[in-house]
Amino acid sequence: MSDWTLCIDFGTAFSKAAVAPTGAWSRFDPANVRPLMLSAEGQNTFLLDSAVFVDEDRVLFGRAALNEADAQADNKRAALRSFKTLLSVSDLDRALNTNAPATIDPHRVFQMRDLIVLYLAYLLASIERAITADPILAQGGTFSRRYAAPAWRSGDSAGMHDVIVRLFGEAEAFRTAVGKRLLSPDGLSLRAISEALPKAMERAEALEMGLIFEATAAAAYTSVGLEGSGSHMIVVDMGAGTTDIAALARLGPRTIELPEARVTLKQAGDFIDRVIANRVLESAKWAKRQDERTELWSVLMRQMGDIKEAVMADGRATLRNQGRSITLSFRDMEKDEDFREFEKSLRQAYDHALAVVRDDARARGRSDVQAIAVGGGASTPFIQALIRRKMESTRPRVIPRPATPDWAHAREFRGNLAPVFAQLAIAIGGALAPDSMLAARSGISPPANDRSGIPVERD
Amino acid sequence: MSAGDKKSKSKKSAARKRAAQGVSLTDALAEAAWSEADAALAQALADFDEADTADGKAARKDAMARLGQALSRAGRKRGLARVGELDEEVDFDAEAYDLNAAVAKTPKTVRIQARGVTRGGEMLAKPRVAPVDRNKRS
Repeated sequence: MSDWTLCIDFGTAFSKAAVAPTGAWSRFDPANVRPLMLSAEGQNTFLLDSAVFVDEDRVLFGRAALNEADAQADNKRAALRSFKTLLSVSDLDRALNTNAPATIDPHRVFQMRDLIVLYLAYLLASIERAITADPILAQGGTFSRRYAAPAWRSGDSAGMHDVIVRLFGEAEAFRTAVGKRLLSPDGLSLRAISEALPKAMERAEALEMGLIFEATAAAAYTSVGLEGSGSHMIVVDMGAGTTDIAALARLGPRTIELPEARVTLKQAGDFIDRVIANRVLESAKWAKRQDERTELWSVLMRQMGDIKEAVMADGRATLRNQGRSITLSFRDMEKDEDFREFEKSLRQAYDHALAVVRDDARARGRSDVQAIAVGGGASTPFIQALIRRKMESTRPRVIPRPATPDWAHAREFRGNLAPVFAQLAIAIGGALAPDSMLAARSGISPPANDRSGIPVERD
Repeated sequence: MSAGDKKSKSKKSAARKRAAQGVSLTDALAEAAWSEADAALAQALADFDEADTADGKAARKDAMARLGQALSRAGRKRGLARVGELDEEVDFDAEAYDLNAAVAKTPKTVRIQARGVTRGGEMLAKPRVAPVDRNKRS
């Protein structure tokens, strides 16, 4: 029996979880990293759809929730998704106590908090099932738990952490009460929920749970197992809604964020989608009528993932609409004024954060800063160019790290971890990180920028 | 037992099937890694037919562009990366390149005709090269 560390990445579209042996940071063996097979549906069993659907007499979760929401879309019904966005708001208590809208809960009996607790219970049950099905993890051992979250939510990670651990505690109590029924593809009856949920909320289990910032998790999977992996890191995370830049310093036993380096830009993947779509619409002179333009826009949005990937990776993308081929190159994108403005803001933000982290590294006598790009936009050419740019002054050196670490290509995975690594990266990094990298633990929740106990002199 | 319970028992869940069949982590990762590559390969097969039967140069060029795009996407989903640049001139090294021409004498300098393909540190297909044609070069 071994001791394990489990990290939950409660994602916007999908939830993921991974397990690593406790102490993996100092005795790293890639073969012992175990992403969990959370989903019973679909080809990618590691991704659990973050979705809850309130039906006439039952509540459905995950893929089943999305399928039912699609089937009832004409009746103005929708599944609750993007819980992560809700958990990131500054007034979390208020957001949790808001009633779910009628499109999501036609019975008007659930608050957002109830639905999140129900989903977390489903997620915990899926984790339990995955552990039981894993031949190594099923042998037993203790599991210490943590979850990953963005570092920049309102700056009060301590207060938020206690609320979120409480939600997990309620979810655990609910899961214990209803058992395996939570994982039924037919969902859970409203009656069973109304009987068990209020009691679970009153008797939340006291959980020990850590919080790890996503940027720190990225730093962990990037630098684990590397000799002289460096104490300072700059992380550029381009997601769908925001591009975030954070700087971290590993000082003695702790990892801290350098808050003066933090920058969040409101332009990210969704913004780039719009730039691409607008450039294509501009060049499609044949689409003059409104219905033709609307049709082209919806074709573009349906295929945007592939189009964007081809533009970024191959420099151009060709798509088909109504028998016509349309080609868009990265150079066309660079002609867009908004895009050029975004590139400029990104460069300035990166330069500012890099100056902060290099100053800190220099002051502490460190010679290296690692540059890491994560998130959906990690491989975009302008972000890669940013982290690989030559510096005027050579000290401390800036070392760009690949988006997929070399160890993900380890022979044990037979070439199969690297292609899906980006999707699982935060859960894996969170499981690998030592306790000293945690931003908060149950009962111990220092603010993100707390430097107490860290010597100011060179270390 | 409720109808819902009966229904859920009759549908043995995929997770339980996986556990019962002892699906390994590597197999599950492979299935996940292939799921998106499959879609891109299917697209490539359809694009190939269009390229093969295209009427006229322009239609063929479009179809070939889409075929290349779909193949690149499938490659990326499988973690493959290209090596070298098309038309790049390099010093010939028999270990690193496949010579794509019958020659009497080993060439010193060659031109990359087809890029190589790697995954991780492993070379899956060496770049294909041909001797530099000095006449063409000028």
